[in-house]
Amino acid sequence: MKKWRVVLVSVLILLLSVSVFLSGCSSKTKQESTQPQTTTQEAKNKNFKVGLVTDVGGINDHSFNQMAYEGLQRAAKELGVTVNVIQSKQMTDYVPNLTNFAQQGYNLVIAVGFMMHDAVEEVSQKFPDTKFLIIDSEVTDRPNVSSAMFKTEQVGYLVGAMAGLMEKEKVGKVKGTNIIGVVGGMQIPPVDSFIAGYQQGAKAVNPDIKILINYTNNFNDPAAGKQMALTEISQGAEIIFQVAGGTGDGVIKAAQEKNVYAIGVDADQSYLAPDHVLTSAVKRVDVATYDVIKDTLNGNFKSGIVYFDLKNEGVGIGKVNKDVPQSIIDKVNQLAQDIKDGKITVSDKVSK
Amino acid sequence: MKNILKELYIPVVAVLIAIVIGSIIMIITGFNPINAYASLFIGAFGSVNNIANTLANAVPLILTGLGVAISFKAGLFNIGAEGQYWIGAIVGVWIGYSFSGLPWYIHIPFALIAAMIAGGLWAGLIPGLAKAYTGANEVITTMMMSYIAIYFSHFLLEFGPMMEKGGTIPQSPIIKESAVIPFLIQNTQLSYGIFIALVAAVFVYWLMFKTTWGFEMRAVGYNQRAARYAGMNVPLNMVLSLGLSGVFAGLAGAVQMLGVQHRLYDSFTSGYGYTAIVVALLANNNPIGVIFAAILFAALGTGSQYMQLNAQVPGQMADVITGLIVFFVAAHRVAEVIKGMFAKKQKKEAEA
Repeated sequence: MKKWRVVLVSVLILLLSVSVFLSGCSSKTKQESTQPQTTTQEAKNKNFKVGLVTDVGGINDHSFNQMAYEGLQRAAKELGVTVNVIQSKQMTDYVPNLTNFAQQGYNLVIAVGFMMHDAVEEVSQKFPDTKFLIIDSEVTDRPNVSSAMFKTEQVGYLVGAMAGLMEKEKVGKVKGTNIIGVVGGMQIPPVDSFIAGYQQGAKAVNPDIKILINYTNNFNDPAAGKQMALTEISQGAEIIFQVAGGTGDGVIKAAQEKNVYAIGVDADQSYLAPDHVLTSAVKRVDVATYDVIKDTLNGNFKSGIVYFDLKNEGVGIGKVNKDVPQSIIDKVNQLAQDIKDGKITVSDKVSK
Repeated sequence: MKNILKELYIPVVAVLIAIVIGSIIMIITGFNPINAYASLFIGAFGSVNNIANTLANAVPLILTGLGVAISFKAGLFNIGAEGQYWIGAIVGVWIGYSFSGLPWYIHIPFALIAAMIAGGLWAGLIPGLAKAYTGANEVITTMMMSYIAIYFSHFLLEFGPMMEKGGTIPQSPIIKESAVIPFLIQNTQLSYGIFIALVAAVFVYWLMFKTTWGFEMRAVGYNQRAARYAGMNVPLNMVLSLGLSGVFAGLAGAVQMLGVQHRLYDSFTSGYGYTAIVVALLANNNPIGVIFAAILFAALGTGSQYMQLNAQVPGQMADVITGLIVFFVAAHRVAEVIKGMFAKKQKKEAEA
């Protein structure tokens, strides 16, 4: 009796594996037949291989991994380069993942996020012929590493100014408590540069404004973000800037619930709550990724730090809420122009 | 021999069924399972470097897995191995970078032993004593202590006492050369830590199955009342087994820091402490089985990275397979319960 059951199970497993094998073969032939004809330029681009290694956030983080991925996809579509992605599961995966790409002859390997700093330093030394791009971290002493840094304080300044002006003119959902807030993920430089700009921008247009700053100490806990935002709202904040990745989704939820405004970060987050997202401080990781791929493809790879700011559209404000009057938008655009012209310089240090 | 086969039967069948169901899911979602499993296997074991990386990932899983297995054997559900890992990592790194001038044969054991003591106290002192003398549920206390440990590391690293001086990234300084456990194979993540893990597994096996103390711990786990009736000190055994469990989780943290990462990064979770529960479950709490279970899950981890690269299958597929394995290991218990009920019913019918 027992024996029969074992036999039955093994036969089933065998059958399944055979079916798996057969279907595997059929899908393989399909792949091969759809190869398009290519000209030499296209062939050259196709031979240019770009690998992207995400950090542990993964490509659906609504944030920089996702945007880097979008930039990569755009490069594949518009430039015809061959692209590939590995999502890291844990921090110890960074070195093997970067190494794998380099070993397989990828021309450009992109590391997303400052957490990969040490891994890039290590791997780039072993593969001097491979080009590397790291986003959000400074690796300056390697001829084959380019570091994309974002002047996020500039866009922080613009959204801060917009929030300050909204409070000053009491339009839309703003009742005029003259209090605005920030929910930060962690007290780390990439977060604080946004907050620093926000402070300076708001104070520049509205010197009496009060700014509440709190950190949730994580980037992946929407419940904590919501709680923090609700606390700030109860203290009178009417516009809350979230600089907290996935945690920030909760901030936007809270704004929606209490009918106040939230400001999105990194990506254009207007779609999350069109009526309640005032605008977004967008860090165009996709632009940076695409630009560096394009430059490298054309033989213009630049090592060292490459800054992305308002001037080269590496940062910018996202979709603006319909409640914002044109006069405010004009003023913010003027400020953006002043920053581009160097009339205003924005510090990236948060003042206490 | 027959016993070994019987012990192997359930995990092996669970893994096989998981692989078969995994391939069905891949076919449905349009991936080629043969390619996927082939690249999963190559990624995990295809070259010396890949094997080394797999083993490197297995090291922390073996050690945390041993810790969890000890507590499970003693009938205690220590699910806070993650926190004990962090405490071990913190102490290991701190000793690693703050003492200079020590020869390696003092520095490394000093860091490891201190981390073991710290991990042991973290698990044994509060959750252990609370369980033994007040009956506080160790599932809750170890879990909560785990959060405390992780947030403590955030405090230390984010502009706290352990943050690298002059840096802007929240991470500890790099440990001194004398504290580094050297790499066993260059250009991989595999350090001599693997031997520490293997020795630890053999040691735990000897301790649990060949000593009186191990027998007492198992007896307490098997039946507390009988153990007490037999004159064993039940509360003491509880504290000791939870403490010992923490010792190995703490050792895992230190070995990972000294051998692989060389500094502590600000992060939400290492993940090892949670995977350790699965490792212990699949190994049926057998210390030698833990080695193989840890290698299996490590292989799924490293292999899945390679699978993304060469078969374009999302890495989450490896997580799906992990989940399926856990499900079927647990389900065999369910199956036994159903079988038992069925048998009873049949017996009754036969009597009637």
